[in-house]
Amino acid sequence: MVSLDLILQQLANGILFGGQIALIAVGLTLIWGVMDVLNFAHGSMLMIGGYIGLYTIQATESLILAAILATVGVFVLGVITDQVLIQRLKEREDAEITLILGTFGLAITLEHGVSVLLGSSQLAFPSLFEGVWEIGSITLGKTRVYLFVVALITILLLFTLIRFTKIGFAIRAVSQDANTAKLMGVNTDRIYSITFGLGAALAGLSGMLIAPVYNVYPAVGWQPFLLAFIVVIIGGLGSVRGTLLAALATGVFRSLSLTWFSSQATLIFMFGAMIFVLIFLPNGFAEVIE
Amino acid sequence: MTLSHSINSIRQKIVEDAKTPKGYVALSVLAIALLAPAIFGGYLFEIVLQMVVFVLVVASWNLIAGYFGVFSFAHAALFGVGGYIAAILAGTYGIHPVATIVIGGGGAAIASLIIAPMILRLGGSYVAMATLAYAEILYLLVYVLDDITGGAMGYIEHPALFDGNMIPLYYFALAIVLLNLAVLYVLLRSRFGLIGRAIREEEDAAKMLGNNTDRYKVYAFVLSSAMAGTAGGIHAFNIRIFSPSMMAIEMMIEFMAMAVIGGIGTSLGPVVGVIAVLGFSEFFRSFGEIRLLLWGLLLMFTIMFFPGGLAGSSVQQDLLRDQAGKLRSAFGSQSAQDEHSSKEQ
Repeated sequence: MVSLDLILQQLANGILFGGQIALIAVGLTLIWGVMDVLNFAHGSMLMIGGYIGLYTIQATESLILAAILATVGVFVLGVITDQVLIQRLKEREDAEITLILGTFGLAITLEHGVSVLLGSSQLAFPSLFEGVWEIGSITLGKTRVYLFVVALITILLLFTLIRFTKIGFAIRAVSQDANTAKLMGVNTDRIYSITFGLGAALAGLSGMLIAPVYNVYPAVGWQPFLLAFIVVIIGGLGSVRGTLLAALATGVFRSLSLTWFSSQATLIFMFGAMIFVLIFLPNGFAEVIE
Repeated sequence: MTLSHSINSIRQKIVEDAKTPKGYVALSVLAIALLAPAIFGGYLFEIVLQMVVFVLVVASWNLIAGYFGVFSFAHAALFGVGGYIAAILAGTYGIHPVATIVIGGGGAAIASLIIAPMILRLGGSYVAMATLAYAEILYLLVYVLDDITGGAMGYIEHPALFDGNMIPLYYFALAIVLLNLAVLYVLLRSRFGLIGRAIREEEDAAKMLGNNTDRYKVYAFVLSSAMAGTAGGIHAFNIRIFSPSMMAIEMMIEFMAMAVIGGIGTSLGPVVGVIAVLGFSEFFRSFGEIRLLLWGLLLMFTIMFFPGGLAGSSVQQDLLRDQAGKLRSAFGSQSAQDEHSSKEQ
């Protein structure tokens, strides 16, 4: 029998895990919502963030500097990607297919480029905070809790940026109607680049944040990317609120399911749910909420 | 249209196609394929056999993605389903390998029929996402059912076809692949292919003209899945150990890259793409990781500058020129003048 304590523990783990996936998924859904681009290189951008964070910590031992550099570095990578690759492919008639293939090509290039330059071995990330908290029968690793809090704060900052700043206003305008926004004097190309950069930056930051759990290696991004992909679909592509909820729900479901089923079976359930949502609720949870 | 009439028109088209430069390329590739056992030896011959099998998968994906505009991520997984069914039926249940290859193709068709009617109604990118999820499910099932499939270690209990003699195996594979390609060729030059292209270009218009586009997409998807599954069955007897990596997402990317580099939506594309990509991979094999890096760059480069692929239409010169102009303007003073003159041309 599974005890109540174990279930509570798994619930807590699931929520913490959901917070981390949420950060990755929000970046993915932001890019989709504004640009109609599904970025298959999101996982490799996360990987790049992990490497930047790791090397910064090794060089300076400053956690905050590592987080900032991982975010800014991948932001720049995102802007370059948009300028060189995405904007060119977006204009094509068969943009849907070429964008998928183009971002896939980028993912392969980044992954194996890093592999060639830095080797493909798994590099351990220093454990950020030692120790655990015990609340009743539940133990919470301090690192995981802090990472959860950082993820939430980042998402909150993103919300603020989109809701209250001029750039955020422009992003929302472009997302609703790019042509009208252009007529109103918004430089849509620049907004696209900034949006893509922001989404990528979130991936970069998450790459550093999940590194203590997942380590750092060239293919590290695929698993989190697939999870974020499921979350984004279940939450409703383009809806940040739906994505947040779906991330927490998915995290909890995953933890609970792992108590009884293998990790492969758990993933099968999740992909099954994703197909179900695609067929019967094309707008995901977002539709149910609003 | 009577049967004899359509046979006649197809015969005419074959004669016309054979007289084009691409027709000559196709005929010479066919000649080399037929003589392969005499030309290539040892390891190289194994590569050629692998190319023959891969041409069928890539052509099957090209049918659904290139002609119908349905972007499936599931074909590597369906290739795997066919392979596993063929290997397990022959190995565990002792059914004759040739029969199991056919059953494997049927099994892949059934596996695709489970989701096809529901997901093909979704729009472009959503089909890609749903098929990607389905492909992952099929891939993970290999691990869940590891009692039957051998799990991560792969399945090895199926017997050798033709007592392990490579040359009959090669001609057997070539015959099946050519048969399938012939079916594709005829279908794509008939009304079926025409409707496919109409769906790809403008589905609503095709629907308005009275075509049941959903049904045609399901037909095409299931047919192409059957072909991918058949290729998987042959592959299982070729490589003798069938592992989950055969149906992983990386495999799908490889098939897609072959189709795209060769020329998506062209009949010669899959052949050219498979030869180019596999040949390239083998040529750079000793370079290890760099090979995969070059491969990713090649994929991106093709998509950006050669949207028609190697076998497709001409190089998009304006894109290259545009790019060169940008580079020049980044490097200095002459830029404005050059860009001006390039526009005038």
